[in-house]
Amino acid sequence: MVFGKRDNQELRSIWDWRITAAAALLLLFIGLLGISFGPLSLRFDQIFRTILGLPNGLTEQERGVLLDLRLPRVLLAALVGGALATSGAVYQAVFRNPLADPYLLGAASGAGLGATIAITNAHGNLYGLLPVFAFCGAILAVLVGFFISGKFFAEPNSLLLSGIAVGSFATAVQTYLQQRHSASLRPVYSWILGQLTAASWQVVAWSSIYILIAISILISISKQLDGLMLTDEEAYSLGINPNRIRIIAVVAATLATATAVAASGLIGFVGIVVPHLVRGISHRVTNRALPTIALVGASFLVLADLGARTLLSPAELPIGVITAFVGAPFFLVVLRRKRLVNQ
Amino acid sequence: MIDIQNLTVRLGSTEILKDINLQITSSKWTCLVGPNGAGKTTLLKAILGLQPYVGSLKDDYVEVYNNHNRNVAFVPQHPQIPIGMSVGEYVLLGRAKRDGWGTESKNSRSLVAETLRLTGLFGMQNQLVTRLSGGEIQRALIARALVQESNLILLDEPTSALDLHHQIEILNCIESLKSKGVTIISTMHDITLAAMYADEIVVIKSGEILSSGATNLVVNSPELKFAFDDRIKVFTLDSGRPVIMAQKEKS
Repeated sequence: MVFGKRDNQELRSIWDWRITAAAALLLLFIGLLGISFGPLSLRFDQIFRTILGLPNGLTEQERGVLLDLRLPRVLLAALVGGALATSGAVYQAVFRNPLADPYLLGAASGAGLGATIAITNAHGNLYGLLPVFAFCGAILAVLVGFFISGKFFAEPNSLLLSGIAVGSFATAVQTYLQQRHSASLRPVYSWILGQLTAASWQVVAWSSIYILIAISILISISKQLDGLMLTDEEAYSLGINPNRIRIIAVVAATLATATAVAASGLIGFVGIVVPHLVRGISHRVTNRALPTIALVGASFLVLADLGARTLLSPAELPIGVITAFVGAPFFLVVLRRKRLVNQ
Repeated sequence: MIDIQNLTVRLGSTEILKDINLQITSSKWTCLVGPNGAGKTTLLKAILGLQPYVGSLKDDYVEVYNNHNRNVAFVPQHPQIPIGMSVGEYVLLGRAKRDGWGTESKNSRSLVAETLRLTGLFGMQNQLVTRLSGGEIQRALIARALVQESNLILLDEPTSALDLHHQIEILNCIESLKSKGVTIISTMHDITLAAMYADEIVVIKSGEILSSGATNLVVNSPELKFAFDDRIKVFTLDSGRPVIMAQKEKS
C-alpha cells in the first residue's frame, strides 16, 4: 500500500478503503495493549483463553481487573476518542474552517459550567449527577448560541462567533462560582483536565448509545458533507440539501461531543489533531474519511490513556496532559512534513 | 419544457425579477443576455430551484423550488474552490448523487476520465483544484456539470475566463449535448458568441423581459439595442452570422 503516491495517469479513488481497514486493525492492536498493560499486566494468551472460556486463563483477581476495570475503561476511551475526532472533522467541514474544534461552539464551557454547578452545589451531594449536568450544560450552551446567532443558514460562521461569546459567558459564570466555593477548585480543575477513571460498564452503556448513534448519522451524511465545501448552489445542483445537512451535522456532532465531555471531562486536542492527521496521511480531504477518523481517534485516546495509567504508575496523569504533550509535537512533525492544508 | 408564469423574486425590498412570463423549449440552447444587474443570474438560480419566488416556475410540469428530486447541472460564475481537493475528486463530485454512498462506480470513473480528456484536463486529475488557473477551473466546473448527465444544464457565464480557443472548444462540447436531448440555459456577456450558439435569446433588463424568441429575430430587434442603451451595433456577415459590437456613441 503506498499512501500519497502521485500517479499522473490513474484517476485515483475518492477514498481508499484499505486505509480504513488499516485503522481498524490499529484500533484492535492498541485496544489489546490497553487491556493488557497497567499496574497489573495481563498476558495476551491468558486474556484470549479467558474470553474464549478455555482453561489456564486469568486468575479470579485478574479477571476482575480485566472485566471491571480495563475493558470498560478502554471501551470508554475508544468511544470518547472516536466521538471527539469525528465531531472535530465534521465541524471543520460545516464551518469550512480547518481550525474548528468540537469544543468551539461553547460545548466545553457549557459542560464546564454544568460540572461546576454540580460540584459546588451546597444543597446535598450532586456529584453523582455531574455527567448529567455537564451534558445538559454543553447542549444548552450550543442551543443558546444557535438561537442568538439567528442566521445560521445564511451565514454558518455566525454560529461559531456566537458560540465563542456564549462560551466566554459560561466560563465567566463558572469562574465566579469557583471563586465563591474555593473548596471546589481542585475537583473542577481535575475534571477540566479530563479523566477516564470514572469508567464503568454503566458509563460505557449510556455513552455508547449516544456516541454510536451520532457517529453513524455523521458517517451516513459524509458524502453530502463534501458538498459543503462548495457554494450552496453548487451543492444543491449536486443533489445535496445544504441547510439540512448542516443542521443534521451540527446536532449529531454536538450530541457526540456533549456525551464525550459528560463521560470524561474536557480532553483536548483529539478533535483537531486526528482529522488533520488522517487527511495528511491519506492526502485526501473528503469526509468519506470519517470512519477512519473515528477509528484513529479511538486508537489515539486508548493509547493516551495507556500512557496516563502507566507512565507514573501507580499515580495517574490527567489524560488531557498526555494528548497535548504527545499529540502536539507529533502533529507539528506531520504538519511540517505534509503541509496538511495545502499540500 | 420550462414554464415560467408571473415569476417575481424579491431580495429584501428590491424586486430582482418582476412578474416574468417565459417558456423555455426542451433540447434547445436558450441564452439570457442583458446588462449587469439585470437579473440573469437570479433567473438561473430560480430555475435551479434554490431561489424562493412568487408565481410559478415549472420544469416538466413540476414546481422547481426546493425540489430535490431533479438532477440539474449548474456551472456558477463564482465557485467556492475547496482547499485540498484534487481535480479528479472535484469532477467526481458530479457523480455523487448517482453513485450513492460508498465508493464511486467504475462507470463513473471512466466517464470522468473521458470528460477530463474532452475538457483538456486529463493529466491534471491529481493536481489540487486550488492550483488551477481561472480557465482550468471553468473547464473543471463544466466537466463536473457534464458528468452529472442531467437533462438540464445551467451555465452562468461559462466562458468568461476562457481564451478564444477554449471558448469554442467548450461551447461546441456543450452544444453537442442538444443532440442528447439536454436543455441548455446560459447567461453570456458576449452577444456575438451567444448568437452563434443559442437557438433562442431572452433579453432581460432591470428584472423584466424585453424580448424573447429565435436568435436572429431577437438579435436584430430594437429591444436588444434598448437593453444596452443603444450602445451596440449589429452587423451581418456574408454568411448571415450576426456580429454585435459596442460603440462609443448612442445610435
